[in-house]
Amino acid sequence: MNEFLERLKRFLKGLEIGMREVSTSLIEKELEEYENVFALITMGIFSGIPSPPTGIILRLIPHMQREMYVMLKRSADLDDVFAETLSHFDIG
Amino acid sequence: MSALIVLIGAIIYLVSYFTYGKALEKNVVKVDTKRETPAVRLRDNVDYMPANKFVLFGHHFASIAGAGPIAGPAIAMVWGWLPSLLWVWLGNLFIGSVHDYLSLMASVRYDGKSIQWVAGKIMGERTKTVFELYVLFAMILIIAAFMATFTALASKSPEILTGTVLFIVIAVIEGLILYRTKIPFNLATIIGVVMMVLVIFISFKWPFINIPNIHTLYILQFIYIVFAAALPVWILLQPRDFLNSFLLYAGLALGLVGAIISFRGFTWPAFTTFSARAVGGQPSPFWPTVPLVIACGALSGFHSIVGSGTTSKQLDKEINGLFVGYGAMFTEGFLATIVITSIGAFGLEVLGAAAAKVTELGVDMAQLTAGGAYLGNNYVKAANAVGGTLAVFTKSYGMMLNKAIAIPATFGATFAGLWVSAFVMTTLDTTNRLGRYAWTELWEPVKNSSAGLYAFLSNRWVASIVVAAIGLWLVWGNTYTVLWAGFAGTNQLLASIAMLTAATWVKNVQKAGKWAMAVVIPAIFLWITVFIALVWYLFKVVPTLAAATKVPMYIFTIVMLILDIILVAQFFVSYRKGPELEASK
Amino acid sequence: MQTFFFLGKGGVGKTTLSAAFASGISNEGKRTLVVSLDPAHNLGDVFAEEIPWKIKHLSKTLDAIEVDVDRMILEYLNELSSKLKHTYRYLSVMNLEKYFDVLKNSPGIEEYATLEGIKKFVFEECYDTVIFDTPPTGITVRVLAMPKISLIWTANLVSMRRKILSRRKMIENVRGKFEAEIEGEVLELTSEERNDPIMQELLIYKKETKALSELFSSDKTFVNIVTMAEDLAYFETKRIHESLTKFKIHLRKIYLNKFFRIENPPPEIAGKIKEQERVTEMMKDHFKDIEIREVPMLRESPRGIPQLLDLYEKFIQ
Repeated sequence: MNEFLERLKRFLKGLEIGMREVSTSLIEKELEEYENVFALITMGIFSGIPSPPTGIILRLIPHMQREMYVMLKRSADLDDVFAETLSHFDIG
Repeated sequence: MSALIVLIGAIIYLVSYFTYGKALEKNVVKVDTKRETPAVRLRDNVDYMPANKFVLFGHHFASIAGAGPIAGPAIAMVWGWLPSLLWVWLGNLFIGSVHDYLSLMASVRYDGKSIQWVAGKIMGERTKTVFELYVLFAMILIIAAFMATFTALASKSPEILTGTVLFIVIAVIEGLILYRTKIPFNLATIIGVVMMVLVIFISFKWPFINIPNIHTLYILQFIYIVFAAALPVWILLQPRDFLNSFLLYAGLALGLVGAIISFRGFTWPAFTTFSARAVGGQPSPFWPTVPLVIACGALSGFHSIVGSGTTSKQLDKEINGLFVGYGAMFTEGFLATIVITSIGAFGLEVLGAAAAKVTELGVDMAQLTAGGAYLGNNYVKAANAVGGTLAVFTKSYGMMLNKAIAIPATFGATFAGLWVSAFVMTTLDTTNRLGRYAWTELWEPVKNSSAGLYAFLSNRWVASIVVAAIGLWLVWGNTYTVLWAGFAGTNQLLASIAMLTAATWVKNVQKAGKWAMAVVIPAIFLWITVFIALVWYLFKVVPTLAAATKVPMYIFTIVMLILDIILVAQFFVSYRKGPELEASK
Repeated sequence: MQTFFFLGKGGVGKTTLSAAFASGISNEGKRTLVVSLDPAHNLGDVFAEEIPWKIKHLSKTLDAIEVDVDRMILEYLNELSSKLKHTYRYLSVMNLEKYFDVLKNSPGIEEYATLEGIKKFVFEECYDTVIFDTPPTGITVRVLAMPKISLIWTANLVSMRRKILSRRKMIENVRGKFEAEIEGEVLELTSEERNDPIMQELLIYKKETKALSELFSSDKTFVNIVTMAEDLAYFETKRIHESLTKFKIHLRKIYLNKFFRIENPPPEIAGKIKEQERVTEMMKDHFKDIEIREVPMLRESPRGIPQLLDLYEKFIQ
């Protein structure tokens, strides 16, 4: 009996985690996109993209470790953006 | 009978899962417990991270289940409950779930890349473009099809219309509560659920929004789509999406309970006639046109996008792929089974309750209830009396719950209606956003020749309005069955790409030998069926469309047929080529 | 405190006039600093003194300094490089040197360093007057415009950052604190402006830049052009004036340097003198609110403070 309750508790907990994720998955995707754009703009200078005056960039770069990491990762995945974006939306 | 069908359905799915499914797992996918999935190997906690299999199942299932498995079977009842059920069972089992499972696993083997990417690699770059074009067409057709289906329903049911509007309001409130306040999640969820129940209750008791004019509803939906798709996701789309999943689980659970407890015999005939008038009032031969009616529930190309887009990047172990990919599709098939069951048991009663209106439309009630060819030829027409075939479902569902757990039938019908409309509204919102993106991509080449024009066309509002407007144009003057078939057609074409890609993968990369036939045969069967169905659609349905929309629909259909031929040509070339591309280790 | 910028092409006498002005003003009792931003570094030659990249006292009220912009750039990048090597140690895949080469030559790095050079002195409390001998006009105009341009970018970046932080907050509300894992190390991602180093940096930068921008447009800043009464010079001056006006920077005086005041001009330069007259008329006509001063061609280039003082009293005061 105890084991059943234990399992039920774990199931409900899993359900809760799942629901929390469901409730924010789109916002997370949107956040990712904004972060990408931010990273691209501020570090675009390394790819020849028009960017803010060098001054701003030099001031920001020491704080943008994660952004740089994300950007490098993203550029590796650029060949598969379309379907990946599509998959986040509910089109039953 | 209702209980029996549901039970048989459950048994068929369960048995197939453990026999056929497991066999696919072993011989086709060749699951290796030692091989790490990309979620583990490429973990970055951004896109790649392993998720608990139940959580992932819930995610995946909620993403693939929409209004599709409900609206499709509701129309398909026109052939009788048996053919529809057989397609939902066998079509799902041999084609649909195989499609879902293999798209997922192929993607897993290719570092979680989407099925579009994999198709490009395995079947040639042209396939990627075909894919994108299908998606663009699909987006526009979905908007038209869903707008039409919903409007047919809402124009005859102020309860559902009221509920839909109120639902938008509570979704916004729920969004504020969840994301802008410090109210704990569990409490916020309960508030959301309570608000939903209140909405259903209020719409049922005081349906104060009543707009029977379908053109007015079209315009209102158009405005809604354009504005909703312009809002940041947290305001409406995200909380909506969240609340929808509760409706889905409740609907499924109550439907199951209702079907079993109401213990009702089927009054609907098992078989009406082979070429019942399903699409656009034309005699539609069951084969090949059934995939143009029942898409999700039996087979849906969009599932491959979801599965290979996000799910594959979160699968923690290969061995769980069957549960998530295959299992979720079975569950959706099960949902479709419940839809068929409820109409099978209560559909005629629903039509009978509206006998006066049905007769007004020129349909003879006595002949209708007698079943047979008359029902097959006049079901869709008769259904317009209550709000289209979807309304036949919502009211049947209401009656079923009423019989089983004594909730007022209108309450149950309102709940079911809200369940469907919630998904419809969400889909309209998302497809407009995606259509907007695809539209901007389409005009990319213009950027160099005319920067000003490109800037105008790719403006967020312009793109949004254009996409929604095209959808509106298509829907104006056309019946929902015609548009639904168009949407289902593109959906099945997307599935074809996935199936053909999977077939090539299984034969050339997986080297599954004899077992490859488990994928190749359904893939070829699917392609042939859909191709002939589209040709039928081109010659039998498109000419009957409203004059203003004939030309674009001709163009759509012909382009899709041409792309389909290119697709199968690519398939044969790469199939023959042999094992050229190894999946990443 | 008043700030003076002397703009002008190379060879037009900008450094000489800056030095003369500095000598004159400091002689009137104002505590003056003259800064050379010009890579040509002629200030020392004009004062006939060795002027290093540290402040040199030329008289009781006059200090001078030559800013080595290239050196500044290298210094700054080296500092950045060591700072980054420390914080970005996780990004072992990155070839940092490669990125710094890009930065060293990036468009705008010179302007940035020059602006940093200006910033250093322009808020100094201990001087009454700061005079800048500027680099060639192209760079200087861009430098003067940079604060306004930067403000626009900064505003956009701030708004974008706010969107990011607000979405993080929404997700935090439901899922708890954000954590990111980069190569084994766990970072907490904040949703509060006051904890976000990027936001803080942006806001500080915005404040500094706004102050500069306002200063450049204020009545405490005097931008003067040193040029000659020639056709091409006239067109160039016109363009500079337009650019500066676009950025709300006022042109105060135009010095027509090396002005021919010859009693009996030989025929070889008759044409030049006619051009001079014509151009002077055009300038007076076009630049109605701006004082135009003619500084005659001197027999000898002034060297040393006494001669510069003389120049100042005769023609510049």
